[in-house]
Amino acid sequence: MAKALQVRNLSFQYKGTDKKVLNSFNFDVEKGELLAIMGPSGAGKTTLISTLNGLIPHLIDGKLEGEVIVDGWNTKEHETRDFATKVGMVFQDFETQLFSTNVALEVAFGPENLALSPGEILRRVRESLRSVGLEGFDEREPATLSGGEKQRLVIASVLAMESNLLCLDEPTSELDPMGKDDIFAIARRLKESKSITMIMVEHNIEEVLGADRIILLKGGKIIAMAPPKTILREVDLLRETGIRPIPITELFVRCRSKYLPLTLREGLESFRKEGWGIDEARYLSLIERDSLRASRYGRVLIEVRGLEYVYEGGLAALKGIDLQIREGEFVAIVGQNGSGKTTLIKHFNGLLVPTKGEVRIEGVDVRQTDILQLAGKIGFVFQNPDHQIFAEKVIDEVSFGPRNFGFPEKGIAERVDRALAAVDLLDSTEADPFSLTKAERQRLAVASVLASAPKVIVLDEPTTGMDYQESIKMMELVQELNKRGHTIVMVTHTMWVVSHYAHRVIVMKDGKMIRDGKTRQILSDLDGLREASLKPQQMVEFGRALGDFAFLSLEECRKCLVP
Amino acid sequence: MNFYLYLDKKTPIHRLDPRTKLFLLISSFIVATIQQHPIFALIVAMPIFAHGVLSGSLRNIRRIIGLLVAIGILAALLWSIQAKGVTPLFWKFQVEPLLYGISTGIKIDSMIVAGIIFLSTTKNEEVAIGLVKLGLPYSFSFAFCTALRLAPTIMGTARMVAQAQKSRGLDLQGGGLLSRMKKYIPLLVPIFLTTLRYTNQLSMALESKGFRAMEKRTFLLEARFKARDYWITLGLLLVLALVIFIRIKGYGEIEGLLL
Amino acid sequence: MKDVISMWKYTKMVVLVAVTAAVYAGTAIPFKGIQIVPGFAELRPAGAIPVVFGLLFGPAGAWGSCIGNVIADFFGTLGIGSLPGAVGNFFFGFVGYKVWGNMGWLSSKADLNIRTKRQVFEYILVAVLSSVTVAFIIAWGLELLKLLPFASIGAVIMTNNLLFSIAIGPFLLLLLYPRAVKWGLYWREIIDNEMVSRAIMPRVGALCIWVGALGGLIMGFLLSTGLYHGQLFHFAKGTTGSGVVLGVLPFLLLFFLGCLLS
Repeated sequence: MAKALQVRNLSFQYKGTDKKVLNSFNFDVEKGELLAIMGPSGAGKTTLISTLNGLIPHLIDGKLEGEVIVDGWNTKEHETRDFATKVGMVFQDFETQLFSTNVALEVAFGPENLALSPGEILRRVRESLRSVGLEGFDEREPATLSGGEKQRLVIASVLAMESNLLCLDEPTSELDPMGKDDIFAIARRLKESKSITMIMVEHNIEEVLGADRIILLKGGKIIAMAPPKTILREVDLLRETGIRPIPITELFVRCRSKYLPLTLREGLESFRKEGWGIDEARYLSLIERDSLRASRYGRVLIEVRGLEYVYEGGLAALKGIDLQIREGEFVAIVGQNGSGKTTLIKHFNGLLVPTKGEVRIEGVDVRQTDILQLAGKIGFVFQNPDHQIFAEKVIDEVSFGPRNFGFPEKGIAERVDRALAAVDLLDSTEADPFSLTKAERQRLAVASVLASAPKVIVLDEPTTGMDYQESIKMMELVQELNKRGHTIVMVTHTMWVVSHYAHRVIVMKDGKMIRDGKTRQILSDLDGLREASLKPQQMVEFGRALGDFAFLSLEECRKCLVP
Repeated sequence: MNFYLYLDKKTPIHRLDPRTKLFLLISSFIVATIQQHPIFALIVAMPIFAHGVLSGSLRNIRRIIGLLVAIGILAALLWSIQAKGVTPLFWKFQVEPLLYGISTGIKIDSMIVAGIIFLSTTKNEEVAIGLVKLGLPYSFSFAFCTALRLAPTIMGTARMVAQAQKSRGLDLQGGGLLSRMKKYIPLLVPIFLTTLRYTNQLSMALESKGFRAMEKRTFLLEARFKARDYWITLGLLLVLALVIFIRIKGYGEIEGLLL
Repeated sequence: MKDVISMWKYTKMVVLVAVTAAVYAGTAIPFKGIQIVPGFAELRPAGAIPVVFGLLFGPAGAWGSCIGNVIADFFGTLGIGSLPGAVGNFFFGFVGYKVWGNMGWLSSKADLNIRTKRQVFEYILVAVLSSVTVAFIIAWGLELLKLLPFASIGAVIMTNNLLFSIAIGPFLLLLLYPRAVKWGLYWREIIDNEMVSRAIMPRVGALCIWVGALGGLIMGFLLSTGLYHGQLFHFAKGTTGSGVVLGVLPFLLLFFLGCLLS
């Protein structure tokens, strides 16, 4: 059988750098195979994908060695645009791939480039939209779609080229949990119904179970290539490569079980086979610890009463919010995109002014003060660090805030040093912020807020686009800040982050708060999660299946487990 | 937040050939600007407004109605101060400059409304096809309509950047001229850099979808001159001829106005 | 001048045109409200964009300024006057990358990472030339179309664009150039060398551009104020006279000759 893809001794080095990003890669992909590529940030995943349709070397400069042969064509010998009918490319950031006025025209763009007849273009538009479940969306404007729908549209626009190889570069990293599920369902359907060969870069481990093979990358090298059932049990290897292992698998590895499960059901089975039990007293001590922590919070810092907010165009984003946040709390706000999370937190530092109701910071109505005064009390870390980074050097970037707030010049250097030390960027003081990785830039954004020493730190999606290790590093930093007395308010989609770090969870839906309580209570309230279209955590589900336990992490479960 | 103006409706205006719509826009501008007298400006403003009603663009016009009123009044005031007349009205005001000011206010509003109607009734892709049919190369048309599409996106990015920098204490007000100008640097640089990243990603996405793979490409939307396009074009030509004729004859001027 | 045509073969350059235009329009439109105030020295940061993006993206910066100006006009002031506006803004972005490094001993012989005094000096020269260029072309065009008198509009356009170009341009370049290079977006690295016009006489071209633009603007001002008693900055409508159109014409031709040579 002919191969869909052959990679031979492939190496690549970006222009102006001194290190190979890909180092002698060799692998083949069979027709109809679903191959998952995993690895930490900077492992070369995106670079590898970019070689598959000739973006490297034709559009991206650097030194390419070896061959990439797609369906008999060598990428060195044909331009990227000529590969359009052979390789479909879905990039990570769906926003940048949508540029048309409506859904149908977006899908038509590729076939139009191939100079197909309008009748044929229309047929492909219809069929591609059906494949991704966007029938009837033809006239919708892409900007009005949800994140998940946008990514599905991008996939449809690529499917319309009717190429046999589809490459997806982290297609779900910017989506909420439901959006993620949709994309994987589509991938499975495409594999089954159309026998399309697929190569998918992915962080989410539970989702690659359906792959035929996984390639693990690290530092520009292939360190493992095997079916998921083998690789997903190599928990230490996964951690080394910046991947979060399946919690249930890791639990059994840590407890040295010989029956390593990959799913919840297998986990329950293994639990029975091992004859283990749960110590209720130990579990109760976990709950006591929660209560003790809650009793230590200080005075009310943020108070919201009857808050409503309507955007200019008439969209009601918040429909009556009441809440208090006390000094020392660590609050996570969760909910689908468009549920009003970000709108809510933008009221905390005066970026938005309530349409109705009031927001008080340390007792002062935000309407009576201004953003400059609030900014000193409430530090706001935006989702995308690139929306604020401008300076030539890291140090200048961090001093920007304190200077604006008029802190004495003498104290600024010290503040900056302390902030950079906290985010572990002290070595990069003189570096160009854009030479840092995405995760480092996000930490830089935290540092530039930290330098003004605000009481409350508000973070919007602090771990977006980070791999597991980077996320842990980020969240440990946030946890440390909380322990040092900063109150934390964080919006996130990443439920394990909520589960591991937050003290309190607020669940939002359609502009309302539908749940508010201790993390353990909210995450084990499966109805509440379902109502907000959020997925339950595996360890919580595991505990619930074993009795009335809600474990927030596998460590908690391990502590309560009696062999 | 929605920054795009296009309204997906099936009005007769929407169904016109993009070239006709473009001609409608340009004619509106010419007709709106050519006369001096507010009566004429008002007469011209009415069909433009009717065009807005007919094309179902009122929603977008309503969105900026406050701005239109403000611009109209401001323009009327300022332009009437600039000009001089002969007939005193009261205190320092004179009749002719005031008429001139009012007419300028109406004209500026008419032009803005005409622009909004065009963008409300024409898809970017139609603009591209229109330009291609007018003989411009596809790459150019694509750049043009992508820019048209991107401009509101960039305004959105600008808003986010402004929020981020305000949260870090950037205060655009206050300070001398030079320092105030320099405060734009932390605003502009992130906007530019975000856009530059976008450039690379969009280029890759385009190449991957076979952008310019063929000498000539096809279009899903059809753009053909139909009977109604011919009629409207003919009608517009007549209107333009009439308006120009009236102008040459010297009607529509404000007598005694000194600029 | 061949590069302004051959650049359309490169997808990145096409996207850069769109991006420049969108950024230019997107940062100009919010300031449109101010433009309706007659004669007001409209202070918009957009004024720095054609100079900076022209230097960074070469012909894509020039086309982008041209298209961006037309799009900004969609929001209120499109008309016959948009024609000279489009041409003027094209050359607003065009002259910078053409004369950079081609001004003999005035040039810094360095890249766009504005750090030394000589680089700042060369940048200021480029900013002045660009602002003079856009002012004299648009003013001439509006005079020709009998829309606005040369003296008033020329002076307004020149100062508006010059202020922001000089005040923040060098900083923008310092922050943008290294990153544009790193991300492979500096125009000389996108376009193959043989595609870039083998400029016939780049230095003579630069000289012609300078003499044409500066001479054209000064001649326009002199004729407009002296011959017809127009006033700089003073706002008025209509025309000061065909003498201005004819008087500036030779300089315009010299300017175009310069563009062809470089």
